[in-house]
Amino acid sequence: MVEFEPRIVAFMCNWCSYAGADNAGVARLPSPPNILPIRVMCSGRVSPEMVLRAFRAGADGVLVMGCHLGDCHYDSGNHRTLKRMPLLRNLLGYVGINPERLRLVWVSASEGPRFAQVTTEFTEKIRQLGPLSAEVSHD
Amino acid sequence: MTETSLLAEIRQAVSESLDRLDGVIALRRSGTGVAPHLFQRGDDLSELVIEPKYPLMTVVSRLHKRFPEIRLGVVARGCDERAYVEMAKRNQIDPQRLTIIGFACTAEEAQECYCSQPYPQKLVVGQPAPAGPVNPLVAEYDALSREERFEFWRRQFVKCIKCYGCRNICPECFCEACAMEDAAWVEPGLLAPPFPTFHLIRAMHMASRCVACRECERTCPAHIPLTVLYDLMRRDMEALLGYVPGADIDAEPPLSVKLDKVPLRQDVGV
Repeated sequence: MVEFEPRIVAFMCNWCSYAGADNAGVARLPSPPNILPIRVMCSGRVSPEMVLRAFRAGADGVLVMGCHLGDCHYDSGNHRTLKRMPLLRNLLGYVGINPERLRLVWVSASEGPRFAQVTTEFTEKIRQLGPLSAEVSHD
Repeated sequence: MTETSLLAEIRQAVSESLDRLDGVIALRRSGTGVAPHLFQRGDDLSELVIEPKYPLMTVVSRLHKRFPEIRLGVVARGCDERAYVEMAKRNQIDPQRLTIIGFACTAEEAQECYCSQPYPQKLVVGQPAPAGPVNPLVAEYDALSREERFEFWRRQFVKCIKCYGCRNICPECFCEACAMEDAAWVEPGLLAPPFPTFHLIRAMHMASRCVACRECERTCPAHIPLTVLYDLMRRDMEALLGYVPGADIDAEPPLSVKLDKVPLRQDVGV
């Protein structure tokens, strides 16, 4: 049997988290190849629809990354993210999808080590949870 | 108060308000059923009825947009008024041009609707009935395991024929472009895909808007208990952001304002 390799979609904001990922790369810090990065201008741009589509399209986990509070390039885009994502997590839980599959984290442009750590931890978490398809299948 | 005297009082209140309004929207007996109607001066008010429950604020909104000067009244239940509150703060109804003739629902109606406030804040006719109970499915929901939750909703969502009735009847669904019709988010031509995007999108959109009028559930031809999901989201919305849709016309929609204005009330671990 082939070992399960999690597929993870990571939405990263242009101004902080994407640069944080770059920072990790420049510093030669290993981060898991399971992460599929999608650059968005702001974490506030990540609508529930986008997260749901990632799951529908086969992601086993979704990471949403943005600037720390107070650092948002658009002043308060990440305020919206912070209100929206917990509600979406709860909703996933209500329909029987493990809410741990969705995580919101703040990663700044200088936090390469944090980027590497967060992505590694999340990948291991999803590896433990197993594939989403097993969670939403039935017979 | 008996049903007939309640109706008589409502007709009286409508009749009086017609002196200073262009018209009052209410239900009117029509053939074997009822239909929304714009009652105007001189109309036969004996045709005005209040049952079955129907979301009239959608009609108000359409008329307000179509006729920018028109001053309307509307015969409204508690849920109609709550719907109005959420619509007004999103520019769907002009509060300056609307008079609400509010009446109280009966205790039986409150029970049937699991209604927490079966009367409008501006009560004109009738006596407030006690609140209905919490939907037992909601009250017991937290005890369900992940597998039970998934199985429950799988069995419900598989019945969905994607008629969009839940959206069409909803007074809070007024977007010109609906995400549930966007092929990017909901696959066209597929019923009950394994991942229930259709219903999850709607539940998320309802979180700060649903006023628990239960019209979606009433209209659903597949009898999906949609408001179980929406009630859970309403509960979270209140716990997380202190927001109760329909309660306060001055409270801004919490998801689109800064944390300084509407802060989180729970630690969400970010």
